[in-house]
Amino acid sequence: MTTYDHEQLAQLLAALPPAPMGLVAAAQELPRVRQSLDDLLVRAKEDAELRRLLVADLESALAESGIRPTPRILDEVRTRMRRL
Amino acid sequence: MDRRDSTSIGDAQLVTACRGGDEEAWNVLVERFSRYVYAICAQGFRLSAADAEDAFQDVFAKVYVQLDRLRDPDALRPWIAQLTRRVCLDRLRTGDRELPVEDVEPDGFDDQLETLDQALAVREALSGIGEMCGEMLDRFFARDESYRTIGEALDLPPGTIASRISRCLDKLKSALEDSAPLTRPVGR
Repeated sequence: MTTYDHEQLAQLLAALPPAPMGLVAAAQELPRVRQSLDDLLVRAKEDAELRRLLVADLESALAESGIRPTPRILDEVRTRMRRL
Repeated sequence: MDRRDSTSIGDAQLVTACRGGDEEAWNVLVERFSRYVYAICAQGFRLSAADAEDAFQDVFAKVYVQLDRLRDPDALRPWIAQLTRRVCLDRLRTGDRELPVEDVEPDGFDDQLETLDQALAVREALSGIGEMCGEMLDRFFARDESYRTIGEALDLPPGTIASRISRCLDKLKSALEDSAPLTRPVGR
């Protein structure tokens, strides 16, 4: 059995403040973002014009597809584009 | 998964649901571990706010991609802790990946992680003491809100908040005493 007094409980509750809201929301969007990325890259594999657009202005092309072009996403797409 | 069930579902069930593509389960997983991951980065490794944010995003991207590799779904928490530790160590090494862990990891990290593990268990117990009590304790201790702000948010007279907090702490203490053994209490 674990016994805590009020002071210990207060310390433990204070030890986990909320993470910044934007970060939590971005992490929760990961499945949707990854699905959009996968779809985009499948299309790019078959569509030379889309590939050209992605190479010319990746940030805009991602934004138009509803994907926020964070540095991490940009790195990943560039890596995956090289394998197309 | 219905988010209303989120507090009763265990980590193993959560892993199974996430692996099955249940987006609501993923939302619950992120909600359940977001504070823990951020605290390991910011308090455990003392990363700057910007580095802690980057590390946080790295961790959840890895959790999402690597969840299928987790052999024991009941070990979700220690697995996430280990992933977070690796991400933070890589960030602290800043290019010098050969630096030994003991040169990079802050002193007392293991004790800090043990405290955060206990804190996470206490947070889980909040769900068993009623929504109002859980909300009040979270607002006062974790969000550092004043009696006045809490009173306005929960539609309660501010003069009653202190005594309510004390009663809620008693309920939390009982809930933890009734639950399975955890680790040793903090500071003992």
